[in-house]
Amino acid sequence: MSSEKRAVREIVREEMLMRDKILAALGDGPLTVPEIADALGYPAYEVMYWVMGMRKYGYVSEKELTDEGYYKYGAVAREGA
Amino acid sequence: MDYDMLVVGSGIGGMESALKLGDMGYKVLMVEKEPSVGGKMILLSKVFPTLDCASCISTPKMAASIHHPNVTAMVYSEVEQIEKKAEGKFQIKIRKKPTFVNSSTCTGCRQCEMVCNVAVPDQYNSDMVSRRAAYIAFPQAVPKKAVIEKQGSSPCYHTCPAGIKAHGYIALVRAGKYEEAYELVQETTPLVGSLGRACYAPCEGECSRYEIEGSLPIRKLKRFIADKYYAGNAEPKAVVRVEPNGKKVAIAGSGPAGLTAAFHLARQGYGVKIFEAEKQPGGMLRLAIPSFRLPREVVERDIKNVTVLGVEIETGVRVENIGDLQQQGFDAVFLATGTQGTRKMNVDGEDLDGVVSSLEFLRNVNLGKELSLKDKTVIVVGGGNVAIDSARVAVRLGAKKVIVQYRRSREEMPAHHWEIEGAEKEGVEFQYLTAPVKFNGKGGKLAGAVSIRMELGGADAGGRRKPVPVEGSDYVTKADMVIIAVGLAPDTKNFGSTIKLNMNETISVDPETLQTDIPYVFAGGDVVTGSSMIVNAVGQGRRAAFFINRYLTGQDLKGEEYDYRLPAVDKQQVIDRQQQYSVLPPVENKEVWHEKVSDFREIEPPLTEEEARYSAGRCLDCGVCSECSQCISECPANAIDMSMKEEKLEVEVNSVIVSTGFKLFPADAKPQYGYGKHKNVITGMQMDRLLAPTRPYNTVLRPGDGKVPDNIAYILCTGSRDQTVNNQLCSRVCCMYSVKQNQLIMGALPLADVTVYYIDIRAFSKGYDEFYEQARGMGANFVKGRVARVEEVEDGNLALYYEDIDNGGKVTRAEHDLVVLSVGLLPNTEVFDFFAGEQLEADEFQFVREVDEDINPGRTSIEGVFVAGTASGARDIPDSILHAGSAAAQAAAYVERTRMQQ
Repeated sequence: MSSEKRAVREIVREEMLMRDKILAALGDGPLTVPEIADALGYPAYEVMYWVMGMRKYGYVSEKELTDEGYYKYGAVAREGA
Repeated sequence: MDYDMLVVGSGIGGMESALKLGDMGYKVLMVEKEPSVGGKMILLSKVFPTLDCASCISTPKMAASIHHPNVTAMVYSEVEQIEKKAEGKFQIKIRKKPTFVNSSTCTGCRQCEMVCNVAVPDQYNSDMVSRRAAYIAFPQAVPKKAVIEKQGSSPCYHTCPAGIKAHGYIALVRAGKYEEAYELVQETTPLVGSLGRACYAPCEGECSRYEIEGSLPIRKLKRFIADKYYAGNAEPKAVVRVEPNGKKVAIAGSGPAGLTAAFHLARQGYGVKIFEAEKQPGGMLRLAIPSFRLPREVVERDIKNVTVLGVEIETGVRVENIGDLQQQGFDAVFLATGTQGTRKMNVDGEDLDGVVSSLEFLRNVNLGKELSLKDKTVIVVGGGNVAIDSARVAVRLGAKKVIVQYRRSREEMPAHHWEIEGAEKEGVEFQYLTAPVKFNGKGGKLAGAVSIRMELGGADAGGRRKPVPVEGSDYVTKADMVIIAVGLAPDTKNFGSTIKLNMNETISVDPETLQTDIPYVFAGGDVVTGSSMIVNAVGQGRRAAFFINRYLTGQDLKGEEYDYRLPAVDKQQVIDRQQQYSVLPPVENKEVWHEKVSDFREIEPPLTEEEARYSAGRCLDCGVCSECSQCISECPANAIDMSMKEEKLEVEVNSVIVSTGFKLFPADAKPQYGYGKHKNVITGMQMDRLLAPTRPYNTVLRPGDGKVPDNIAYILCTGSRDQTVNNQLCSRVCCMYSVKQNQLIMGALPLADVTVYYIDIRAFSKGYDEFYEQARGMGANFVKGRVARVEEVEDGNLALYYEDIDNGGKVTRAEHDLVVLSVGLLPNTEVFDFFAGEQLEADEFQFVREVDEDINPGRTSIEGVFVAGTASGARDIPDSILHAGSAAAQAAAYVERTRMQQ
């Protein structure tokens, strides 16, 4: 079951690269992390780093909690952007 | 300045000692290696057993410790050496790391962090989220000042002769900020498009990624941003010209050095006029480089970046007399006339009609002179890029056969391998270890070349093996044209009578300032260095502009550091930051190639946007900060100072308290628990971060997929009381911080089940047992039994196999959706490296040894050195504070006793 995890530093470094792709995926509305992962074709644990980084820096914010226990994240207009 | 006391570390113990001593009236220096005081406690959610907010307790002490009139807190600094001197005093060496942010003007607004383009793991959030290279450690940081993490100059930038911030524009491309990337390059040179196509990119040779699977295509990324920018800006944007300063500079030559110097001088308000001997500006960019490598329109667009600033270019004017320029009112002159001459081979027949120099040949073609080589045989002599360019141009002019003769072997050929390969694909024949010794003619016209075979002999002065003719191996090749490309030389005969020249006829200058022996005359580029790369000439032009400005503003030319860059970061250090790398192959190099090449269409296709971002995404951020300059532009307080340097300080103190804390047990040292492998196995510290108000996620979530966990397991004694990891000590806090987290989780996630796997619960202090019972009462399930292993199962859930002691000791399986490893505390052994001379002793567990723990807590093996808090053993927060107070009292007593003795 366990697939090889990439180095955290490598995943985190890609946040800048993935940001536009994630925002594009959120163009039609908020998605959960697994849904974003499906849309992008990347593992959910990697998407988690990128989405949480984007949340920290004001690109996305959490919306509703699904019945399955996942938050949906939606794009937000950044202050000053 | 000297102090009474040095406190090393500013965790809760260090702060307590410093404040107590400050209150007693002692002058205290507290040194902290992180950018904020507060240690680990400030990162916790709450404290046990009171469940008080850790931040609420810590922050008043943090603020007090930097505002106390008797305490000087030196953050982002490291103690390098502590040495005991005579009379019981201590000599301290401290390294103050540069923050690259002026702390007196930084307002802590985080704007630098918000625009920063480098993401790294956030160590203050236990690597669960990113931070930026420019960052404030955490929201409650004291002082709340940004720092910029730089581990050195990235090798690509460090090696660039022009000082182009390659890492910076790569980071900007990665982030999709193409215009900012273009503007960053243009800060250094106006020739963004030309360099994007024709630079030989020494940066790529230094790229750390080369060690993994190949360098980044740094030059092509520059071309990408230039193409993108020029497509949207056919003309330069209107610029607000700087108020003219009334001074004029004449520049001879409009090549890369002249244009770059003009660009920088004009931006500083100088009236700049370039005199160009040819009919069109651009120097070698226009005359020597074939348009299939560098289209004319790109050069022209680059030149517009200069003329838009008001720089005048007069073509068809050769500067003959420097003195005339002075008489015309120019205050300074920059000679950048390049290498317009060509070296001769000095063989018979070199003057025949049909034997031409490479520069003459390329110049004629580039200036549009009609020339056909249809059905002709052309021999090109030489092995550099100019030779290859000449050969490929000859192919395009219809030559039936093009032969390159080079006197050494292919391995020694100075031309780039991709240029050679491109020429081969276009049908150019290479004859290695061959050189012409004579050109035959008929009626003054070339008929053929007599060439001789060579073999490589011993090394010459430059270390290259010398070609030695093989006697009797000469042969004749019929040829209609011979292009000699054996080197370029400066044409400085006009200047020879007025300024000092070198033996090779280059202009003699001060290598630092580029000033000639006539003070108002500077020179740079190929006319000084000899034939070189475009990017070298760009660097010389930029340097000349800097020193011409200093000269014309009456400043001293010597002693001023030009273009300071930090030393290049060690590439192995960069590679070692990651344990493994994904293979990200470089985008394939390709040329548009046709079997019959007959035109000058550009041969190298541009990177697509997808390729550009992918390529930029391969960057390893070697220096960490990319120097993209976005923070400089954005900072409202103008606080960013990239020229900041490390400071070394020495102080004398009367006593030392080490409060260097502990290290957490590395959870991956128990591989059977799957930390670092299974996505939903985390440490207790990570859970504390998830529960803290400044958490990395919006709530407690599984890092594997963002699910709110509902069945959480704790494994106590991970790395404590465990001979298998060489730590038999109880860490004293793991039981209770786990119980604390149990209560907080049950508060935050009321539907979640919490199970704690334990050996025994150690709730030994006041209120601890009640706290434990309270957790049980809230529903936490305590299972007595050691966990043997953890396996990842479906949906990222985790199967635990444990010894169920209360039910007969059988191995039992249980499934959870998140596992928390309650990791223990280990000694921080870095403290022992501080001491020179008398060594600080460690106890048997490698904590700082307290020589008289029972009745003199805090005393160490060195008289006058005391230990506070967890540096001497695992302690909870109240005990650490108590111990730090004791160390402060001991230190005060020592100082007074020493004084009395004196």
